[in-house]
Amino acid sequence: METCDLPRHQLIKSLMAKQTEKVADAAIVLWAQLATQIISIVGEDGFNALYVRSVFLSRSTFPGLPTIPLPPQAEHRFAELKRSFEGQSPLQVREANSLLLITLTDILASLIGEQLINRILSLAWGAEIPNETGKEFKNE
Amino acid sequence: MPASCQASQPSALARDHVIKVAMSRNDNDSASDPDESDQRGFSNPHKDRLTVFREKDLPRRESAVVDDEAAALRREKSATAREDAANLREKAADLREDAAHLREEAAQIREVEAHAREGEATLREGVIRAADVVQAKRSEDRLRMMQDANAQLVISGIEAHKMTQQVETAKAQLDHLAHHDVLTGLPNRMLLQDRLSHAIELARRQGRQFAMLFMDLDRFKHINDSLGHAVGDQLLQSVARRLVRCMRHSDTVSRQGGDEFVVLLSSIKHPDDVAISAQKILTALAVPHHIGELELHVSVSIGISIYPDDGRDAEALTKSADTAMYHAKENGRDNYKFFEQAMNIRAVQRQSIEVGLRRALERREFVLHYQPKINLHSNLIVGVEALIRWQHPERGLMPPLQFLPIAEDCGLILPIGRWVLREACLQAQAWIRIGLRPITIAVNTSALEFNATDFLENIRATLDDTGLEPRYLELELTESVLMRDAEFTDSILHGLADLGVKLAIDDFGTGYSSLSYLRQFPIDTLKIDQSFVSRITSSPDDATIVSAVINMGKSLKLRVIAEGVETPEQRTFLLAKHCDEGQGYYFSHPITAEALATLLQTGIKPASHI
Repeated sequence: METCDLPRHQLIKSLMAKQTEKVADAAIVLWAQLATQIISIVGEDGFNALYVRSVFLSRSTFPGLPTIPLPPQAEHRFAELKRSFEGQSPLQVREANSLLLITLTDILASLIGEQLINRILSLAWGAEIPNETGKEFKNE
Repeated sequence: MPASCQASQPSALARDHVIKVAMSRNDNDSASDPDESDQRGFSNPHKDRLTVFREKDLPRRESAVVDDEAAALRREKSATAREDAANLREKAADLREDAAHLREEAAQIREVEAHAREGEATLREGVIRAADVVQAKRSEDRLRMMQDANAQLVISGIEAHKMTQQVETAKAQLDHLAHHDVLTGLPNRMLLQDRLSHAIELARRQGRQFAMLFMDLDRFKHINDSLGHAVGDQLLQSVARRLVRCMRHSDTVSRQGGDEFVVLLSSIKHPDDVAISAQKILTALAVPHHIGELELHVSVSIGISIYPDDGRDAEALTKSADTAMYHAKENGRDNYKFFEQAMNIRAVQRQSIEVGLRRALERREFVLHYQPKINLHSNLIVGVEALIRWQHPERGLMPPLQFLPIAEDCGLILPIGRWVLREACLQAQAWIRIGLRPITIAVNTSALEFNATDFLENIRATLDDTGLEPRYLELELTESVLMRDAEFTDSILHGLADLGVKLAIDDFGTGYSSLSYLRQFPIDTLKIDQSFVSRITSSPDDATIVSAVINMGKSLKLRVIAEGVETPEQRTFLLAKHCDEGQGYYFSHPITAEALATLLQTGIKPASHI
């Protein structure tokens, strides 16, 4: 499936591109919002599996991503990710996090479909994602 | 009977009763008169009058009595009526009281019922609340179950995702392995054939040319044998990297196996372009290769074929390039040769030699010649080296260089080598039997023979069969054979030494030797390579090398023999350096067994045979 121009990808890149300061913090906020929505549907284990797989796949492009992504405590789920971002430039963080989010949502979309993942993203980030034919999206 | 009924029905019985009561009262009146009672037993005038009166007044009195009785009856009735009324009132009161009790009970019942209803409502409310709680709990459980189920589905999906990727990766790896050389990562023979087929098809359609360069590293076997496969492999990898760097991205650099590489120049305008590419390769490979701490020099011989002139299919093109490569080797190595049709004749000849070699053993076409080894001080023959010749039915007597490399390539060196060993031992024994002075007979041993699993057993069996004492047999091995696998070599060499067989290192100085192994191995003799000996009077460096080898041999208590001695100056130099023995044309060419027998009897006359 050709995915480079998916609205979902554009949304992720747009959200990350907006971050100019404290990019690592902003990235983690996006993750926390997304995690809440996904966990409500697939549970902690489901989200963790998605997240770990996404980090593993993204590490081939960004080796700086954490090797052991999940700490034992669920409340600090993204602590390792944040730590890995803190040593990188804002540009690197934006690119790495965009890839990571895209990878996770790609995997989830392959399991539950594009429409449902777009609804989850809308709930998570309060953004409208048009269908395949749409060209724009807006943040509420 | 109710009181009212009793009161309203005066009966005859009641009337009789009233009368009796009245009479009784009269009687009582009489009885109650104290005077009357006091005088009851006495006559009383008054009483009499009274009696008369009474008798006269009796009807009236009777009537009064009746009236009284009626009155009494009425009073009695009235009393009864009042009593009945009282009873009735009492009963009414009782009834009212009962009614009040009943009302009270009814009220209590209503209250109980109200309480019951209230309790029931409370109960219902509780039940409803409990049902709500249960429902909420169930909803929560269902949600949790759905989350768990989704989690499992997601995890399963990801596992499937992983496995799919692993399968795809494994498939890609298998595909890569099937089409690439494991050692160098270059396309292998299979992929080259595929690319070659495409190149032919494309060139045919477009009417263009392309070139195939067939390359073989020069003396790689020597390096591989002497320094080991690990070094050889790293050298091949280094060569592969340089070849890739030399070529365009559109060209194919492949490894055919061993030390053979093939480059496909997919598009050329002129054969001169190919020559430039070939020269580039020669230059790139000429730079020393640093493998670990070693600095290795390696060159390559390149054969070139051009489509469509030198072949219109893959097989013909490959064969032409291969043939040209052999010509490059024969032309001194480290160069390139374009294929020419005339080369085919040489290739055919080579094929003919290979076929002939296979029959030569059966037809007993091989013969041995013997070259003496001379004690430089006494000029006595101390031994001979057995050298094979092929008495070819059409080409005449062929020297070993013309057929042994081919024999090595096709594996015939093993049976030929065993034939040489047996024949040499038989000859040495024959010389002894005819009364000649026993001498050591040396036989060259190839790497293929030395590494054969039954090598030692074959030596032992040959000595047993021929009856030659082991001390008269000397095996000459090159450095590359000895240094290949030190542990294996050591065990074989000690096995030979235990048998009593002597050991010599042939062509010493041209290969790679470890001094520690020289000390460790049970070596008897060092044979200085003729390339150094031939220049000892013209090259100070070679003279120095030869002197150093002689001194080293002496220090290690080894015999040292110089090969290729051809002039008296060389002999003089060697004598001056205290070299023990010499071998070469200056003393004798290789000669037949009969001639050698004669020489043993007559003795050597230096340079007399030159």
